[in-house]
Formats: sequence, C-alpha cells, structure tokens
Amino acid sequence: MTAPDRPVARPRLHRHAAGGLAWSLGILAVLIATWYIAAGLVRLAGDTSAAAKLPFPHDVVVKMIDTAPTLLDAAWSTGSRAVVGFFIGLAVGTTFGVVMIQSRWIEYGLVPYILASQMIPLIALVPILRAILKDSDLVRLYVTAYVTFFIVSIAVLRGLKNASPTALELMGSLNASRWTTLRYLQFPAALPYIFSGLRVAAPLSLIGAILVDFLGARNGLGYLLVASLSIGSSQSTLLWATLVVSLFLGLLFTRAVVLVERRMSFWQPAFRDPLR
Amino acid sequence: MIRPARPPSSDATDPTDPSGPIGEPIAPHHHHEPLAERSDHPIAIAVDHVTKRFETGGGRGTVALDDVTFGIRVGEFVSLIGPSGCGKSTLLRLVSGLVTPTAGTIRVNGLGPLEARRKRQFGIVFQSPVLFDWRTVDANVGLPLQVFRRPKAEIARRVRELTEMVGLADFRSHYPWQLSGGMQQRVSIARALTFAPPFLLMDEPFGALDMITRDRMGNELLQIWARTPGTTVMFITHSIPEAILLSDRVVVMSAHPGRIVTTVDIELPRPRTEAVRESAAFYRYENELRRMLHEAEGAHG
Repeated sequence: MTAPDRPVARPRLHRHAAGGLAWSLGILAVLIATWYIAAGLVRLAGDTSAAAKLPFPHDVVVKMIDTAPTLLDAAWSTGSRAVVGFFIGLAVGTTFGVVMIQSRWIEYGLVPYILASQMIPLIALVPILRAILKDSDLVRLYVTAYVTFFIVSIAVLRGLKNASPTALELMGSLNASRWTTLRYLQFPAALPYIFSGLRVAAPLSLIGAILVDFLGARNGLGYLLVASLSIGSSQSTLLWATLVVSLFLGLLFTRAVVLVERRMSFWQPAFRDPLR
Repeated sequence: MIRPARPPSSDATDPTDPSGPIGEPIAPHHHHEPLAERSDHPIAIAVDHVTKRFETGGGRGTVALDDVTFGIRVGEFVSLIGPSGCGKSTLLRLVSGLVTPTAGTIRVNGLGPLEARRKRQFGIVFQSPVLFDWRTVDANVGLPLQVFRRPKAEIARRVRELTEMVGLADFRSHYPWQLSGGMQQRVSIARALTFAPPFLLMDEPFGALDMITRDRMGNELLQIWARTPGTTVMFITHSIPEAILLSDRVVVMSAHPGRIVTTVDIELPRPRTEAVRESAAFYRYENELRRMLHEAEGAHG
C-alpha cells in the first residue's frame, strides 16, 4: 500500500499571517502619515475653519481618551443591537434559503420579493419604522436584521445548490431523507458561501444601526456623529473620534466572522496548508 | 497487505434486514466458491428488456439503452465493459433506482429498484470518491450508518473494521484532501461496505487513477471482496484487463444505442494471482474481448 504520508490531523492556518500583519501595519502608517500631511497643508493655507474640521491624528487620540466613557457607551448602544439584529437576520435568512431550496416554485415565487425588499431605501424606511415602533432599539434590530437577512438568504440559497450531483446521488442511494441530506451534505457544503455573505453583512449591519442612530435616536454612534456635527466646528475632533470607533467596531465584527469561518469551514481549499 | 479481520461472530444477521444490527460478514481468508458452483445460485439482479430514453430539447430523445436483458447471480462479480456512451453507467443507476426505465423491468432480490434502495441494498462507489471534505476518513466511512441512525458504539466498531480492511488504519483522522487519489477511493469503498450491503455497485471506480495505483486497487478489491462473502458486485469499467482480472463474467456492450453484444464467462481460478494474470488463458480472454469490442464498434459505426 501507499507509504504513509506526513500525518497531519488539521491544516495549520496563518502560515503567512506575520507577513500579512506587517503589511497591514505598514499601510496604516502610510495612511496616518498622509493624514498628518493633509492636516498640516490645511493649516499652512491659513483656513482656520477648514483646519478645525481636520484635526491632527493625535488630537483625535487625545479626544478618544478624554471622552472614552461617552464613546464606549455609544458603541455599546449601537454595536450590541447590531449584533443581535445580525443574528436575527442570520436565522431568518437561513430559514428563507432552506425553504426556497425545497422547490423551484417557491424559489421563483420568493426571490423577486426578497430582491424588491432591498430596493427600498433604508433612509426612507427608518422614519416610517420609528413612527410605528416608537423605539430606537427595536428599529435598530429591525434594520440590521433586514440588511443581514437579504444577504444570508441569497448566500444560503446559492450555497445549498453547491452540493455536487454525485454527492446527492450518494445520499439518495442511502435513502437519506431531505432533512438528513440537508444536515449532512447541503448545509456543510453551503458554509463557504454563507460565510462570504456574512463577511459582507457584518459591516453593513453596523452601518444600518448607525443610520438608525443618525435619524433621530437619542444615543449611539450615529447620534454622536449628528450631535458633533450640529454643535459646530469645535466638536469636529469628537466626530473623527466617533468615526474611528465605528471603524474599529466594523473591523471587530468582520474579524469575528472570519475567525468563526476558519473554525467552521477549515476544510475550504483557501484555508488549507499551502504546502500540501 | 490487508490486515486479518475479526472472525465471524454470533451477532451476524441477515444483511438485507435494515432494522437488525449490522453484522459481521467479514470472514478471514475466505474465497468465493468456484464459478461452476455459483452458477446454480439464485438470480440477484434481473434486468429484463430494459430500454431507457432520455428526453432532450428537440423532442426526439436519446436512447441510452435499447432492449437490454441480463442477470447477475447472488455472490457473483460481473463487469460491464463498453465504449463511452454505451449506457453502462445508466444501467447502474437504473439497477439502484436512481433512474427509472422507459420500458422493461428490473428486479433486485425480487424487489423493484426503488424498494431495494429503500431497504438499503446498495453500496455505490462512483468514479470520483465523493468524500465530504469536512469529515475525517472515519466520519466519511461512518456516514451511511449515521444516516441510518445506528448507535454510536456500533458505528465506531464498523468504522474501525472497515478502515483496517482497506488499509487506512493510520489515516483515520485525516481529511480527504490530505490523502492520495488511491487512498480516497479506498475510503469510498470502505464507506460503501460499512453497512454490509448485499450489492456493491461500482461505476468505473478506478477510472481516474494512474495505471500503477489502478492495478494495485484491483487486487485489493478482490481481497476485500473475499472477506465479504455473498456480496454481489456489478462493476463498470472500460479496461479489458481489469474486467478479466476481477470478474466471474464480463458483459460486453456497444454504444449508440447501448446494447449488450455478448457475455463472456471468465473461467480463471481464484485467487487471481500474478501467475493467473500472466497465464495464456488470461491473454486469450483479453484478445477475445478486444475483438468483440472492435466488432461491436464496427457494426454500429
């Protein structure tokens, strides 16, 4: 028989992670340097109101430290609702995808409405929802779930069709039920697609929640943005600080999705040890 | 080098009974009876005047199989050989109830193919191994038993036996993509045998392997079959030497439409050792089958 291969239980991930991190940090340094140069040029031009709009990065960092409790509080209000809404959207979207895969008729009947649901501009939907639900938290949940559900249902539908015809024949030869086939074959085979969708949905759900803050909430990251804009140019440092926090929160969401993906669909060609 | 399996134990039951525990049809160093003795075994698969037409866009359809009749006896190893387009894969799908015939009847142990499939009579090995990348070798081999909701302990026991039988005991926690093509196909064979099905249907299982691996896999399959007595094998191939090496009988088919040209009994002794493979009789069969395949091609253009 064949000579035993190198025994490898699971592929090692992140072989090139260190190099990648160095690159990312390098790009970050270039971005910060560009910011400094831009802020310096605006000051050299002598336009004081413009200079107030574009503070130096270290001013923003100082502001972030000074207003840490406010920022964290806002991040919690927006972020926690976005996460819960994201999971609701994930559950609803998965349900839709699974229902649609059951028959062509259901799929062809539902897909146009799912697509149409995303044609409605969120900016118009939010005031209506607020008028009906009267609660910012509920609106945030609804909007984030709404954004996520669409991406997930399309990804699940596409992913469930990813199982190979021969693999379906194999399950058929074992007389596996529809549910068993879904559980053992179609759903695992769909995971790469689902996670691709979730990577897109994670930052979008956060943006959805911030939009709700923006349109009349009394707290949250979006509220801070509006507040610092309306108070005047003196508060532009707070605006930038809030933007940086939003950015970090978005990166955190995406990173979390990627980490779960690596655990759950480690077998994907993209995650295998590149040397094997 | 197949490791000796456990001797037959008392819990062996009718393998066709889906409700009973999956027993121990694995006997050590058993060799199937000579062909002459098996010729009075009952017919296990009866294909009677079967025609299969696939409807295509133009409304005329393609005739994949035209009036095909043949039988396979219990415990027999029968190969179907023919050019691509002769409908041999379709025949395998018809027998296992994955496709229904346009005309004619198929009986499998007296049942219709669909009923037989429901009673889990078929272990199928496809040309590609069709392993699940997210499952280890163990979990892939155990998949059928998991589908049948067998107790965990029983699954573990069968998986251990089968992975040993196909020589993958050291690779049980590997993932399919960490194995060579030959090893992947052995996992696929082990998976087909975990629930001790009375029928092993193989659709060009070694077609994607290189010649050296292919030769070795043929020998291993014979040894595995020798340890699962009573298993009836329907084997599809386009390799003449492979068909002769493995089979009790070779069914020769022609293409467009798929028809049976002739059936050749392979009266070579078992086990099919190196000496048998190099014998004059082996070469005579090879020449005979090659001539028949060429004639069949000539007759149908």
